[in-house]
Amino acid sequence: MAGIWLDVLDEIARTCTTHGRGDLLQTVRQKRAQLLDPKLRVLVVGEPNQGKSQLINAIINAPACPVGDGRTTVLPTVVQHAEAAAAAVVQAPPASGRPMGTAGTPAATLVERTPLALDQVAAGVSGAVGRQPGGGPAYVEVGLPRAMLAAGLVLVDTPGTDQVAALGGAAEVAASTRADAVLLVSDSTRELSVAELDMLLHVTRSQPNVVVVQSKTDLVADWRAVAERNRQHLADAGVAAPLIPVSATLRLRAAATDDRGLNAESGFPALIARLQRDLTGKADHLARASVQAVARTVVEQLAAPLRAELATQDAEEQSGPISRLHAAQREVDELRRCSTRWQNTLADEMADLLSDIEYDLRDRTRQILRAVDEAFDTADPLVAWDTFAEWLERSLVEAAEANHEWLIQRCDWVARRVAANFDRYGYDVLPPWSMTMPADLGDRLPDLERPRIDRFTTGQKLFTGMKGSYGGMLMFGLATTLAGMPMINPVSVGIGALFGGKSIRDEGKQLLRRRQATVKTAIQRHVDEFFVRMVRDCRDAARQVQRMLRDHFTGLTEELQEAIVQSFRSAKQEADTDVALREQRQREIRLKMTRLAALYEQSQQLTGARSTPVLLEPRA
Amino acid sequence: MTVGVRLDEAAWGLLHQAMDLYQHDGRAVGRLRRQVARLEQPLRIAVAGPWRAGKSTVLNALMGEEVAPVEGADGVFTWYEDGTSPRATAYPVGQPPQELTVVKSATGMRVDLGWRVGEVRDIVVRWPTRALRQVTLIDTPALAAVDEQGHAPVLDRVLRDSDAVLFLTRDGRDSDLRVLESARDSVVGQAAPVNVIMVLSRADEVGGGRIDGLLTARQLARRQHRDPRVGALAVNVVACSGAIGLAGRMLSESDFAALATLAGASRVELEAHLLSADRFVRGELPVHLDAEVRAGLLDRFGLFGIRLATTLVRGGFDTRVTLSAELIRRSGLTELRESMTRCFVDRRDTLKARSALAAVEALVRAEPVRGADGLVGAIEQILAGAHEFRELRLLVALRNARLGFDAELAAEARRLVGGDGVGLAARLGVEHEATVQRLWEVAADAQWRWRDRAEDPLLPLAQRRGAEVVVRSCEGMLAELAAGGR
Repeated sequence: MAGIWLDVLDEIARTCTTHGRGDLLQTVRQKRAQLLDPKLRVLVVGEPNQGKSQLINAIINAPACPVGDGRTTVLPTVVQHAEAAAAAVVQAPPASGRPMGTAGTPAATLVERTPLALDQVAAGVSGAVGRQPGGGPAYVEVGLPRAMLAAGLVLVDTPGTDQVAALGGAAEVAASTRADAVLLVSDSTRELSVAELDMLLHVTRSQPNVVVVQSKTDLVADWRAVAERNRQHLADAGVAAPLIPVSATLRLRAAATDDRGLNAESGFPALIARLQRDLTGKADHLARASVQAVARTVVEQLAAPLRAELATQDAEEQSGPISRLHAAQREVDELRRCSTRWQNTLADEMADLLSDIEYDLRDRTRQILRAVDEAFDTADPLVAWDTFAEWLERSLVEAAEANHEWLIQRCDWVARRVAANFDRYGYDVLPPWSMTMPADLGDRLPDLERPRIDRFTTGQKLFTGMKGSYGGMLMFGLATTLAGMPMINPVSVGIGALFGGKSIRDEGKQLLRRRQATVKTAIQRHVDEFFVRMVRDCRDAARQVQRMLRDHFTGLTEELQEAIVQSFRSAKQEADTDVALREQRQREIRLKMTRLAALYEQSQQLTGARSTPVLLEPRA
Repeated sequence: MTVGVRLDEAAWGLLHQAMDLYQHDGRAVGRLRRQVARLEQPLRIAVAGPWRAGKSTVLNALMGEEVAPVEGADGVFTWYEDGTSPRATAYPVGQPPQELTVVKSATGMRVDLGWRVGEVRDIVVRWPTRALRQVTLIDTPALAAVDEQGHAPVLDRVLRDSDAVLFLTRDGRDSDLRVLESARDSVVGQAAPVNVIMVLSRADEVGGGRIDGLLTARQLARRQHRDPRVGALAVNVVACSGAIGLAGRMLSESDFAALATLAGASRVELEAHLLSADRFVRGELPVHLDAEVRAGLLDRFGLFGIRLATTLVRGGFDTRVTLSAELIRRSGLTELRESMTRCFVDRRDTLKARSALAAVEALVRAEPVRGADGLVGAIEQILAGAHEFRELRLLVALRNARLGFDAELAAEARRLVGGDGVGLAARLGVEHEATVQRLWEVAADAQWRWRDRAEDPLLPLAQRRGAEVVVRSCEGMLAELAAGGR
């Protein structure tokens, strides 16, 4: 019979190896050795002062473990068979990382044994003697010549605690995993406490064979009710442990007086029968249950990282190559958007710029013209022309320069505006260009030709004077003839001269006005010509700039696109490989899971009963 | 005994200072007002402990009647106050208080909790008994283990609502101590752990009910008290079997008669029947005793109690009164009450002041406002100057012979720090009508002698420290005399 569970155990060990879990393998090996050992190690645990030591004494009918009122048991005590009564403190060397020898064959080379006199056992168990300061965890070994012990029973007494973490103390000898059965002792004066139930739940995880011993039934009358409620508590907590009420006092008394009835009353026969059944059945049903438990623990432990890996793989999808692919895709889209954006920006800005520049130039020339108008409303072109021409020339050049300056600034600004669209690509994208003021701006101006100006020549003046004086002289000559004066007399001549003078002045004014009008028209024409030429120049310049910017940024966009597409392509490739790899890994994991499930199934079949199935598949 | 401002006056001042600071916060002022009122009220002693530690039994034993627990009132604080007639009032959350019916029974009373449990947080029981003249006893719900944040909510409320605590534990195990330690994170809690007496309850169960169980329990208590970890948490450790104490206090003639009958049987025969509870109730006793009587005895005394009582009756305590007294003495109840009187009742002003300091500190921590730092400073100043706390600790140390003074010296030290009464004459051990001159001489003499001891490098540190406290007490007395007080 031993063969089947041994095979399963070996299979479990192999699985541990393939999964590279040396720690689990260690446990499994230890368990194997322990199961092959015919001895039955019974661990006695419980809260302080529940009568654990007394229970052991009562089981073997000998005062093996010291019993006291306060905290008596400090070191775990191992009670086993010996030909003659003997005791020793066994202490592992300090900071020993290596596990001790398997049960029953302590590696004598590793541990330090200090023999104890029999009357010193109590002191030894309370940790007072035999222990080296600074040494590793120690325990006391008590050997007694008893039939029950000789049959292979080993009882391990532990220091009481209500902390799950402190269960069994520091010594490995008192670890519940190394025991074949665990007795949890709880006295009859109260029901199981929360701490005890926690402890039970903790122990049953690694150790299927747990018995709750309700001690001190002699103390209270209603121990049956307490036992009933305790069974209820166990059922509620889902702990499948039988409860055996006992009274160590009665048992010891029965042994002293050889009273069979009292012994039966103490409840011990049931407990001892249970232990003996475990002892004889160790190689069979106990071992199978153990293997089942081991399989359960191991499979759970092995499955946990696999499950976790499957779970994280979903998460990785968000962060791995796939996400890089998505990012690259987003980059491509972004670049496309960016290229439309900058083109629009450029066209809009350039149109704005042209209309602005034109308006500016027109504004400037209009101001010049207004000044010209004002000047020639009064000034005589004949006198002021030269000064004026010089001023006009200067004003126009200034206007042209200012306008051009602004054009340059605006162009620069437009270039920056467009370049701002490329900000996220992070490098300096301004074109390596700068517009400068053309040096020959002044020369490009049209020449101002002097308009033909009518001068009021002396002959003209004479002629006009004559024409004017003639009428006056004739008019007054005729009137004076009536007075008997000749036609030509001093009065008529004087009047004639007066009229002549007036005519000359009038004519002179008219001429001046005409001259002024002529000059204004000429200048207007000139300025118009200037304006047209300048506007054309500006347009040319702007168009040139636009073309240059377009070329520059198109080139840049293409460059960027190439880079981005490249990265997109590599990301895609990477993602594809990753998906393939992951799928492969998933298949591997599933395969491993299936194998684990098979192993678990196999172990389940060892005992007919199925325990709860292990959750192997990842949760949906 | 502090020169200058007394501790309770300092606490009163501190409370009013806090009230000024929090005058805009109605809730805080209400709390502080209640705290001020508490300075005038009887000392509040809570009986706290983990599940099934015997809280209600100890409470009944202290009151001498079967009053606790109020049936079905799990998770409820039950306040036992002195009153002219038995009355019980429940205080449900968010609803008006409700009178409960009190049924007086032969041995005490029973309260019908006509209320859905869970809504009620407090039940106040007024009960006319001498034990409640000076103190209010509080029965508390079981303390759960410390949670992840290191808090024990029930204990927090216990410490908030009471001035002193009887902390019941079966055996002073780690998890119980940890619960008690969790409450010590405040300045006041750390400076003066003088408000806790640890009680090893259910002392009768020590040693599986052996006849000398109570004695060993007492030894265990002493051992525990010497443990520095426990010493930092509790001012004293007492072993007390509530069940035996209660049985002793309520020993009726019929019980005594039954016990006497039992004791009449031969020892060997009886022993066989006292092996287990089952045997005692069902077996054929050598003497005639009704099954109900046996069950009643077992219920009240426990197996151990019956063993003890029969042994005592045989040993000469053969009247009801002497047996009752002996049971009470053996149960440790006398020691517990003595300890409560010395540590709590005699020092009630100190303890109430301490509660006030703790309350102000808790308030400042929970709702810090501008100027609250000043309050914390004031608390620390008061604590640093509070000689009362040190006297209290020394007193307990002396009683347990921890310091190693010889008997005569220990007695003198105890007297000087107020162990025999806190008046000047009582402290100095002189006749009541002594003149100021005489008092001064005695006090000065004591001060010099103890100063020598405090400065003697040959003495162990603990003794020198103790001597320093005595010197300080003497100085206080001299200052008081100088100020013209008596």
